[in-house]
Amino acid sequence: MNVRSLILAIIFLSLSGISYASNLKPYTGKGPTPALHLEDLQGQIHDLQDYKGQVVLVQFWATYCGPCRKEMPSMNKLIKKMGDVPFKILAVDMGETKLEVSHFVDEVKPEFTILMDSTGQAISSWNVFAAPSNFIIDPQGRIRYTLFGGVEWDSAEMVMKLKALAGH
Amino acid sequence: MNLNIALIYFISFVFLSPVYAREIKIIETSDVAIEVRVFAAQGDKLLLGFPCDEGRSLAEEKTAASLAEDGIEVWMPDMLSAFMLPNTRSSRAEIPTTSLMAIINAALETGKQVYLIASGPDTALLLRAASEWEAKHKKLLAGAVLLFPRLFKSEPVPGIIPEYVDVVGKTKLPLMLLEGERTPNRWGIKSLTSQLEQSGSHVNSRLIPSVRGYFFKRDDPSRSEEVVTSQLAGLIKVSLFYLEQM
Repeated sequence: MNVRSLILAIIFLSLSGISYASNLKPYTGKGPTPALHLEDLQGQIHDLQDYKGQVVLVQFWATYCGPCRKEMPSMNKLIKKMGDVPFKILAVDMGETKLEVSHFVDEVKPEFTILMDSTGQAISSWNVFAAPSNFIIDPQGRIRYTLFGGVEWDSAEMVMKLKALAGH
Repeated sequence: MNLNIALIYFISFVFLSPVYAREIKIIETSDVAIEVRVFAAQGDKLLLGFPCDEGRSLAEEKTAASLAEDGIEVWMPDMLSAFMLPNTRSSRAEIPTTSLMAIINAALETGKQVYLIASGPDTALLLRAASEWEAKHKKLLAGAVLLFPRLFKSEPVPGIIPEYVDVVGKTKLPLMLLEGERTPNRWGIKSLTSQLEQSGSHVNSRLIPSVRGYFFKRDDPSRSEEVVTSQLAGLIKVSLFYLEQM
């Protein structure tokens, strides 16, 4: 490798590092993972405890949140790129009505589970103050990373990180 | 361009520009002269807003004119232009406290009950003005209206209770907090209210149904947001009523 290639490689690695650092951040909160026990749009209850053994992306979002709308297609693509890795997305709507969310679902067609937090109970217990707020849960049920704001979920770095967390 | 076309342009400009009953008052401070848009009224209440918008707040002007018609005098000092600061969040911190004090002093000299009002990040400027005024003066302000306050110290981290800017929880002023229902910030009202109450303030918070934050400044307002913007004066009058009861 000549000097020029070496410099380019160093720059590339540095930029990759920035990309990681600006996306998922190690979770620094204290205490156990809060409970998540909510209905989906069909009225079926989902409990985060039931997803142990999988990596779970818990996202708090709302239909009026621009970045949330923008990133959802990349979440659909992420599911495909994760392949047979045990991975689940639970997208928690922040206090809107089923009617509002249903219109949005018809338009955006998310291929993941939408949960309804109509009372804001989960929003409060998960200390969510902005949208989209994302939590990555490891197969043991612990919050490992968080991310605030919109992102391309199907980027190679993100897929690699999530697969690594799942042990793949 | 011939004379006729120039005349049409001139007439269009004069008649299509919104003009509300206002006067410009200049308040001299130790630093600069500050231009204040005054919507004069005969009543005993004066609403002092820190719009920091370089004079471009049309919805606020319409609201101010409506309030003045109902007897509430409104002052809108343009703090950013006075100090030639760009309209950025960090600029608010560069506005000297002495200038804010001079404007509050001038407002109180009218003998009216003075209420403060601000929206978004300007609410930090309002809280600074209120707390500094309380610390140095006996004559008190009557209260303040915070419209969708944006007072986080930094970008919120999921799972962590946010830190607020240092001026939060420093004033005893009664506070009315209004937030849009269609914004994630509504979920932070409880936490913010609790922080604001730390200094002894009575805080009353209310959600405005079906609107986003900054609803009256948006380029893409929904029908609900247009309606609420047209009723903003009424919303503020109700807020002043609540503040009187606190």
